Amino acid sequence: MNLAHIHLLLNHFPTIGFGIALGLFLVALMRNSEELKRTSLVIFFLISALAIPTYLSGNAALETLCSGPEGACPPGVSVAMIRAHEDAALPGFILMELTGFIAWLGLWQYRLISRTPRWNISAVLLLSILSFAFMARAANIGGEIRHPEIVATAQAASEGGSAPEGSGPVHAMVRGIGAYVTGHTWVWPSCETLHFVGLSMLFSVVLLVDLRILGVAKRMSFSSLYQLMPLGMLGFAMNLTTGMVFFIAAPEQYTKNPVFYWKILFVVLGAVNVLYFMLLDQPWKVGAGDDAPLTAKLVAGSAIFVWVGVLFFGHMLPFLGNAF
Amino acid sequence: MDFLRLIEQSSFSQWVTGSSSVLAFPTILLLHTIGMGVVVGISAGIDLRILGLAPAIPLAPMERFFPMLWIGFTVNAITGVILLAADATTKATNPDFYVKMAFIALAVINQRMLRTRVFRDPFIDKKPLTPDAKVLAITSVIFWLGAITAGRLMAYVGPVSGLTK
Repeated sequence: MNLAHIHLLLNHFPTIGFGIALGLFLVALMRNSEELKRTSLVIFFLISALAIPTYLSGNAALETLCSGPEGACPPGVSVAMIRAHEDAALPGFILMELTGFIAWLGLWQYRLISRTPRWNISAVLLLSILSFAFMARAANIGGEIRHPEIVATAQAASEGGSAPEGSGPVHAMVRGIGAYVTGHTWVWPSCETLHFVGLSMLFSVVLLVDLRILGVAKRMSFSSLYQLMPLGMLGFAMNLTTGMVFFIAAPEQYTKNPVFYWKILFVVLGAVNVLYFMLLDQPWKVGAGDDAPLTAKLVAGSAIFVWVGVLFFGHMLPFLGNAF
Repeated sequence: MDFLRLIEQSSFSQWVTGSSSVLAFPTILLLHTIGMGVVVGISAGIDLRILGLAPAIPLAPMERFFPMLWIGFTVNAITGVILLAADATTKATNPDFYVKMAFIALAVINQRMLRTRVFRDPFIDKKPLTPDAKVLAITSVIFWLGAITAGRLMAYVGPVSGLTK
């Protein structure tokens, strides 16, 4: 199994997952069920986390598929089609991540006001419909890359006098963004600086919340620290954005780097981890002066482990891995 | 300059930069980055609380995180000195390095002032924070952002050895 398989396995999740979550969300709205609304928000959030490796493994699939001299693709596979798929996937991915972020904020606020906030319902509804539409389009183009029966008619029409596939310059938006990043020396250092600032914001929340659960500064209640959590999510959003800039500019540094796979796996684990604090009542019972239960401590310890792990793998990309 | 070269050519510096062991340069730099996350993370949490974010958090117990902050700071001071020694002729001649040091000095003084003005106040959490405290919180955030930026840019501006990734 290689990363191309991972992409083919994962790529069904964002579209189908968002479809299911959207359907559930509509049912929840019709029935006005808070529990169903929350369930859909959780699915939106988790699928948006899974969309990260899905997007990233796409570049790996391209490199595996088109591994001939100078990136030549096997017969029947069109570079232009792959680039079109990439160009359709990026806006879908951005919308999906925005939906996940907003869904998380809704889950966060639910704890404070005991219902899904109204602004959040409209925002998630709008963003998830847009995400689904964009991703469905990307999936559709993606399917045509290796399912020739779908494009047989289109190909027959173009076979007349067109240039051989992959020979001309391929117009591609995402590659254009990548070229802009590598062509302008200020972009990379600026994004790195922001990546460090985002890291500090995320660490701020991870350290204060999880160290409290572990027993430092017990005079703070969990519910008071909970107010701080969007700061960490904002830091994560900054790092996802700047991280995508790096990835789009130099994908092969990451797709061929096993250390990077570990980093992304740990990011997804971090997303699962944070849900404990959003959904379970257990940490909420930790008031001022209380000792947290063992489960809470284990989750808090694993949160620190996971995020330091993300930092570790990110830092080791050029040392244990082969980037740069 | 001779002095800097002497440090850089010491066997320890040579080990840091020349060793293929992941425990040399990669791990020292890793500890420096984790230390940064701890120092700036905890500082930022306290600063933003003073500025009004997460108002339900009582300020007084936040002082319990100070020892953690100073552990992070010590780790970074030690690893920082090692990283400087290993690359002395380049780093010590880079003006950006002194910008970073200035920001860190200001941030440390700022942190001590914040401790005296806010955490040594017997009426902490009992009366609203003074504008003084808010100004100190803002300058703290600015100084740490400055230190991070100057630190990151050491790999790009001034003399660059190509060591810092």
